[in-house]
Amino acid sequence: MPSALGFGLGLRPVHYTAVLESAPAVDWFEVITENYLVGGGRPLHFLDSVRDRYPVVMHGVSMSIGSTAPLDGGYLDRVLSLAARCEPEWISDHLCWTGVGGQNLHDLMPLPYTEEAVEHVAARIQRVQERLRRPLVLENVSSYVSYTSSAMSEWEFLGALVERTGCGLLLDINNVYVSSRNHGFSAEEFIDGVPLAAVRQFHLAGHQDHGSHCIDTHDAPVRDEVWDLYARAIRRFGPVSTLLERDDKIPPLPELVAELGQARAVARAAEAETA
Amino acid sequence: MRLAELEQAVQAHVLAGGELPPALGAAVLPPAEERWQIYTEGYRLRLIEALGLQYPALSARLGAEAFALRIEPFVVATPSVHRSIRDYGRELGAYLRARAAVADDEMLADLAEFEWQLAGAFDAADAIPAAPGDLAGLAPTEWAGLRFRGIPSLHRCRTTTNAVAVWRALQVGAGAPPPATRAAPAEWLIWRRELATEFRPVEPDEAAALALLFGGATFGDLCESLLATHGEEAAVRAASWLKGWLIEGSLLRV
Repeated sequence: MPSALGFGLGLRPVHYTAVLESAPAVDWFEVITENYLVGGGRPLHFLDSVRDRYPVVMHGVSMSIGSTAPLDGGYLDRVLSLAARCEPEWISDHLCWTGVGGQNLHDLMPLPYTEEAVEHVAARIQRVQERLRRPLVLENVSSYVSYTSSAMSEWEFLGALVERTGCGLLLDINNVYVSSRNHGFSAEEFIDGVPLAAVRQFHLAGHQDHGSHCIDTHDAPVRDEVWDLYARAIRRFGPVSTLLERDDKIPPLPELVAELGQARAVARAAEAETA
Repeated sequence: MRLAELEQAVQAHVLAGGELPPALGAAVLPPAEERWQIYTEGYRLRLIEALGLQYPALSARLGAEAFALRIEPFVVATPSVHRSIRDYGRELGAYLRARAAVADDEMLADLAEFEWQLAGAFDAADAIPAAPGDLAGLAPTEWAGLRFRGIPSLHRCRTTTNAVAVWRALQVGAGAPPPATRAAPAEWLIWRRELATEFRPVEPDEAAALALLFGGATFGDLCESLLATHGEEAAVRAASWLKGWLIEGSLLRV
């Protein structure tokens, strides 16, 4: 298993220059794979420059591992080519589907948690892992609908896929919280139910709380409830690589670096409790 | 319901923007419609937002709200077939042109097509262009056989309106001039030098010369093609263009 990378930020174009000029106290960067599946120019120039200075992880949004449409070999080849260029610590995407019939909803659509889905997705993960020549790391998504056909919990679904494929997990703490509120399950039970050895990375992000439900918006600082859940995750999983995401209302880089400092402090305190 | 059927049904309902059908077996805690709209509304809003980023001048010219209203029918009519949302929206210019009723609509269509080509140049593959010095050591007999093609970021665009003047005004925050139809269509060359995207108008005879070269003709063929119009000056005319293309860094030697 790769060693923990520490505390990282999602690399966003608005911060390219600030990252390179200010050498912020960030241990690593996560890049959105699809943003760099281009021929060249500014995106790849800055990716190369950041990669020269920091470890990088590739995080995709459209592998559509849960889709019943055929796997897109051309897309996987482009991912592999980008990986050869930036040598990521690992490659992650989302445990969801994004479209069928050649179309893309550009959204992270939830799967039903059924044995049929486990079999289908596990077979695809294995094919992707062979093609990318490394274990795939998959992230739990925020969801707003679930399916009555589901025969297991989301964390049992994750566990079944890990057991059959050896894939890694990117545990998005905010998504666990958001989905727990939207579907009425225990976020703590989710954290405690995920296979211990499979978790490679945590995500932290902000969401909007509408009272009756929450929306995963990535447009605000991490909320207290999510910090509490993160502390629980650190106590259970140890010092896992942690990544702070912001995709909307993106503040100046120093604000995110400060929030990342909060993640360090929460993790340090949680680790001290278990020492 | 099998997984494949479920995904097809959910996608169809997201694209249609309708209510959540009970037959999907989706369990949604209250408020169900609001939650389902996170997917249906989210789909349209995400594509509109992506087009706003892809067409910033068009969006600025119309204003964000009017832009969203104007392109929503396009989004509804044009599902994304791309892995990367950056690739979505190529057809917007043609869509606007097909529905153009007044001069302003034609200008907006031109503006969209111009911006799409700028975006194409922005992240096209890197290449080291041929430079004037590369040809310095050639023997006189070798020139006629030279072949070139455009660097990957070299794009062409044709406008029938003052869309590029509007684009320029929007870049500097100046009031955009009123839409106007040009006396004759204009051709534009768009390319990237290092990380900077550049463009310039190109006269019809120069555009034809480039088309000839990119079609596989040699420099000698180009000179010959100019004999009828330029006579003894044909080679000088061709050499002058070639020097310009090499200085601006838009050619690769084949």
